[in-house]
Amino acid sequence: MSCILVVDDEPVVLDGCEATLTKTGYEVETTLNAEEALDKIEAGRYDAIVTDLKLPGLSGIQLLKIVKDKEPETDIIMITGYATVQTAVEAMKLGAFDYISKPFTPDELRSVVDRAIERRRLLREERLRATKNRVAFEYNMPADLYYLPEHSWVKVVTENTVDIGIDDVFQKTIGVITDIKIPSKDTIIEQGNPCAEIYGAAGRVYKLLAPVNGQIAEVNELLKKDSSLLNSDPYGKGWIARIRTSDFAKELANLLSGDAMIRWWLRREIVERKTDRYVQISALNPNFKHEIAREPGGENIKVCFGCGICTATCPVREIDSKYNPRKIIRMALLGMKERILKSDFIWLCSTCYACTERCPQDVKFTNIVNAIKNIAVKEGYTHPVFTAQVDLLAKHGRLYEIDEFDNRRREKLGLPKLWTGEGSAAKIFETSGLLDILKK
Amino acid sequence: MKYALFLGCTAPTKARNYELSTRRVAEAIGIELIDLPEFECCGFPVKSVHYESFILIAARNLIAAEDAGLNICVLCSACAGTLVEVSRYLASNDKARQKVLSKLGKEDGKYGFAQNIKVKHLIRILHEDLGSEKISSKIKRKLSGITVAPHYGCHYLKPSDIYDNYDDSENPHSLDELIEITAAKSIDYLEKEHCCGAGVLAINEDIALSIAQKKLDSVKVSGADAIVLMCPFCGAMYDENQKRIGTKFQTSYNLPVLYYPQLLGLALGINRKLLGFNLNKVKADSLLERIETKSMQNEQCKFSS
Repeated sequence: MSCILVVDDEPVVLDGCEATLTKTGYEVETTLNAEEALDKIEAGRYDAIVTDLKLPGLSGIQLLKIVKDKEPETDIIMITGYATVQTAVEAMKLGAFDYISKPFTPDELRSVVDRAIERRRLLREERLRATKNRVAFEYNMPADLYYLPEHSWVKVVTENTVDIGIDDVFQKTIGVITDIKIPSKDTIIEQGNPCAEIYGAAGRVYKLLAPVNGQIAEVNELLKKDSSLLNSDPYGKGWIARIRTSDFAKELANLLSGDAMIRWWLRREIVERKTDRYVQISALNPNFKHEIAREPGGENIKVCFGCGICTATCPVREIDSKYNPRKIIRMALLGMKERILKSDFIWLCSTCYACTERCPQDVKFTNIVNAIKNIAVKEGYTHPVFTAQVDLLAKHGRLYEIDEFDNRRREKLGLPKLWTGEGSAAKIFETSGLLDILKK
Repeated sequence: MKYALFLGCTAPTKARNYELSTRRVAEAIGIELIDLPEFECCGFPVKSVHYESFILIAARNLIAAEDAGLNICVLCSACAGTLVEVSRYLASNDKARQKVLSKLGKEDGKYGFAQNIKVKHLIRILHEDLGSEKISSKIKRKLSGITVAPHYGCHYLKPSDIYDNYDDSENPHSLDELIEITAAKSIDYLEKEHCCGAGVLAINEDIALSIAQKKLDSVKVSGADAIVLMCPFCGAMYDENQKRIGTKFQTSYNLPVLYYPQLLGLALGINRKLLGFNLNKVKADSLLERIETKSMQNEQCKFSS
């Protein structure tokens, strides 16, 4: 069950929120101020926090900053009075998930909290998929638009007219959209206030916040007839309305440009520990390729020009894309030492030598990956299968023990007896220092 | 023709039918195989974790053969690759050789590795050293009417630079030629040069079995009566794991898997029990009966004519 913390200095608001959210199926805790909220957050883990912007002592914005710093994955929904809508928009830029204006209905509270929880679930699923299959869950935000994060977008048409629409993060958290209600032509809309009502599959109503101030000049009639365009083409045919803006230059300060939006998303994703999809420059080790080249078998790594024939011919890659020879070489040349050595994919080479035979540069990838594995072992990352094999060799001199019973069976078959006992591998491992390396 | 027989880890424990048929065939065609008590694991399993240990273990085996003054005949393709690679490396690299000999407490100057001894896979010995004429002269029973799919595996010919480009790693023919000496038909099929997947079996069973399944599917489509191979690791995948692969991919193969010496042994007229057919996991009884019936018919034809 998802757990929600509600922070408000008005007991009546707390009671209302608690009743609504408990009925919806959430576990709810309440508190009257930000300081107490921080103690609770320290002690427990909340899936979402609903907080008033104006609180005695620490403000809602301060609470937001502290929580986002400590618990970046926690979604925060701001409660605000009409007069503080601009602050709420600012809060969303600081990482708030959304806001609701007082007075709000139980449905309004439920829909925004549901979206936050659904978004968390999607992210969790996505992360799981990324771990299992390395399949990315993509958000497609065009770079040439301006955004009210996770709500709506703006496209400049002329000096004082813009088109507005729904961004795909908002859309994905709703799921299938069944209908949209758009105010009629000439209606005035205000930045940060609802500008359209969107209906989800379960009949729930979601309020889309306007990204700009202005007057509706034209409504997308096609969208009124076919609301599925919001799901299928949110940045194209799914535009909502054309707006005559009043002071767009000033309102831009509350929006993120496309590039900034993408950076904002990247930051969020990195914060949300999806770091394996991004290269952290500070974690690169430019000497890694030289280290590999010094190992027996690793000599030719630097002559790879990335044609990818190794990947194309690899039988393991054909079955599981986790093992990708060209990618491993590119990662190694880039210096992603730690990520490679810690990975499980380096142990998946079947040593078939197809890559080696077909490489136009004589890189000898089979030997390269052996060199990498040798480095991994020295650094303490040995696959347990190999540790077990070394143990067996040290004990028996072979991977399979042969005892007197086996020899009797061999003799019965007409095969000569084989020696039994320790063998010489243990002594060799002692001489070479392998046992000490594995003990690390 | 005398060789030290290098069994490795897998053949004497998991592929006794391979060892048995090799010994019987060798006797029949005049190859003397000597068992050296010093032979242990070739070193291949530790190449991935510690290159120096890999070289030392392989070198110790090579030194044993050199002390006995014998070239080496290897049954396992991975062992053959390891011993060939290390013998060449130590023969051409004075510094490494001195270091290895010193670590093994052996006298420098006495051992030349590849300069003094040859390491060859059994199949290469049959194909290159013995040759088709000599083998053909010993054939007593033609296996005509039998179609087999040759499986070369990986380490028999690859990496090609350690084998002096013997045969052709991309378009191999030596095993096909040896099969045809027996009058069985060797066929081409998709995935012929494909890996068996054994190299990754201990690490990721799903991947290994999926790789093996691809070839089994291709062989099944080709209509071959059996797969013929030359490596106990490949045997473990196609024979020992065939039923599991069938269950996993909801199919059934029932495809006999023969080591080449078993096939040759049949053509040499050796009794199937002596060739270890009773140890094959996928039973080859109906194939063997077909061979025997055909053989009896041929005898009758000869007699009546």
